[in-house]
Amino acid sequence: MLDLVIRDGLIVDGSGLPGRRGDLAIHDGKIVGVGGRAGEARRELSAAGRVVAPGFIDPHTHYDAQLCFDPYAFPAIEHGVTTVVPGNCSLSLAPLRVDQRDAFSRMFRLIEEMPEAAFDAGVDWRWGETFGGWLDALTGNLALNVAPLVGHSVLRMFVMGPEAQERPATADEVEQMASLLRECLDAGAVGLSTSFVDIDDTYRPVPSRWAAPEELDALSAVLGERNAVLQIVHEFFNTDLTIARIEMLADLSLRHGITTTLSPIFHSQADRTGVARILDAVGAARARGAAVWPQVQTRPIDISFTLDQRSLMLLTMPSWWQVASIGDRTAKLAAVSDRRQALVDEMDSLAQRPNGGLGAGGFVVRDVVLDRNRDLIGRSIDDIATERGCSHGEALLDLTLEEELGTWFIRESIGHDDSEAVGALLADPNVHVGASDGGAHVGSFSTFGDTGYLFSEFVRTTGSLSLEQAVKKITLDPATIWGIDDRGLLAPGNAADVVVFDADTIGRGPEIASDDFPGDGIRWIRRQEGVDTVVVNGDVTWTNDDGYVADARGGVIATR
Amino acid sequence: MRRFVTPHPGDDLAAVAARELPGVDEADHQLLSWNLHLAARAGLGRSVGLLPSDIVFTEPPLPAR
Repeated sequence: MLDLVIRDGLIVDGSGLPGRRGDLAIHDGKIVGVGGRAGEARRELSAAGRVVAPGFIDPHTHYDAQLCFDPYAFPAIEHGVTTVVPGNCSLSLAPLRVDQRDAFSRMFRLIEEMPEAAFDAGVDWRWGETFGGWLDALTGNLALNVAPLVGHSVLRMFVMGPEAQERPATADEVEQMASLLRECLDAGAVGLSTSFVDIDDTYRPVPSRWAAPEELDALSAVLGERNAVLQIVHEFFNTDLTIARIEMLADLSLRHGITTTLSPIFHSQADRTGVARILDAVGAARARGAAVWPQVQTRPIDISFTLDQRSLMLLTMPSWWQVASIGDRTAKLAAVSDRRQALVDEMDSLAQRPNGGLGAGGFVVRDVVLDRNRDLIGRSIDDIATERGCSHGEALLDLTLEEELGTWFIRESIGHDDSEAVGALLADPNVHVGASDGGAHVGSFSTFGDTGYLFSEFVRTTGSLSLEQAVKKITLDPATIWGIDDRGLLAPGNAADVVVFDADTIGRGPEIASDDFPGDGIRWIRRQEGVDTVVVNGDVTWTNDDGYVADARGGVIATR
Repeated sequence: MRRFVTPHPGDDLAAVAARELPGVDEADHQLLSWNLHLAARAGLGRSVGLLPSDIVFTEPPLPAR
């Protein structure tokens, strides 16, 4: 008798070929039958009127810390995500020496916007110092699959100590990093991540940025030995720099036979030819035989912030950053009050920046603390400032002071919000759907629901992709690009990662505040819409009727 | 694609300019004007100069298509 049969669904198998109605049979965590009528099973689920697809793969996440205290990566699974790639952008939790944990934690918490209390409560370092130890610690305690990257910055820290952020490596140090990378890949890493943009909490470039091209070349040679992937976060705000990085990646890909990926690529109204030029560069690389995959996120860019939590949005405003970084709330409130004029001036200067537009006036009041201010919710700072006869900076700061820093502001659709243009970009065969940043930036925006949004906006609304193309974009395509061999396609013998959903309603719920993380503060999440069932390696892990299955631990390290 | 180089150990923009733009008057100023992403870095905290992984364009932006 079979373990599980999902009956009479429209099977969209991930290949991109048209769906067909039939049953999906699962036994011992594997798919054993696709289509036709399956025999009896211990558990049967009806999928009549629903789509049966491979579990979705999210290739750009930062669940490293969250997975230490939340085996579900909540709420990723209910959106149909069954495999995630953490460790992007040069930062992974291992390998790391004991005395480097504090420096690394500050770097990770800053760059990925993870609250200190949540990080400290959740990351107990029980695995010691090695990458394999970290994966061993996760094994058996995962509700979804993990295909982890090892971070270039931590490799440098491990080998060079504090000098990782001071100088290029010596030949001997490069060889040590190469050996360490081999060890991580053999332990289960799917590849190496590096960053060309990030800074730490002292504004110092992260270690990977101190690497000479020869160092990255040597590490890429190791990736070539193991057929592993190189991920970079590049200067995504500048088209010429993006194209230069594509050229560098193409050279590395050709020299070492590796797949490379860069994230993110955004559509920008300010540089309307930028995407076309980037795609031309990718096409040229592809014509040379290089594997260079740009990652494109589906959702528009929205950013929320409050002075109650530190936000990367404030990083380029030194006065605001300084007060936002004060841990003690009473001290922070006093500092904001004391430095009011400097903060106002700095906020008002936003409008003077290139493409600054309304500056702070473009922010909208998202939530308030005091009942008397509830009528301000949904109103722009420009509107409020006009009414009060003050500057944007004064309106914003005085409201947040009145509410003892608890006011939330949002700027919606900052970019990447032209659905026709983004849809065309997502449909491009040389583009890879990714860059969700799952598990990161928890106070700035929700990183959940990008897969649902792919269907609701770009299949149903704009028609940029067919249902089958959209499924392929987040299943077989990432599985192939990332070398996750037995996932992403509903085929006999493959792992039974499955999502059942309603093609007419799958989407993302509204962005809501959640206080589920350890410590104070909130994060922004979106719940699923239109998903019925999620199966991970044959385990029914989430259903719309019953929610998350307690103690579901079907997830594995997908690369072991 | 715009031509670019990555810095040699110990390089500053003047050194890159001398190597890549020999005989050009005020080559380091030219180079800086073509690499505003490097000029902007000085505005954030302490300046770290050129990094080994930086891209330095050695020609101006290409004409728009």
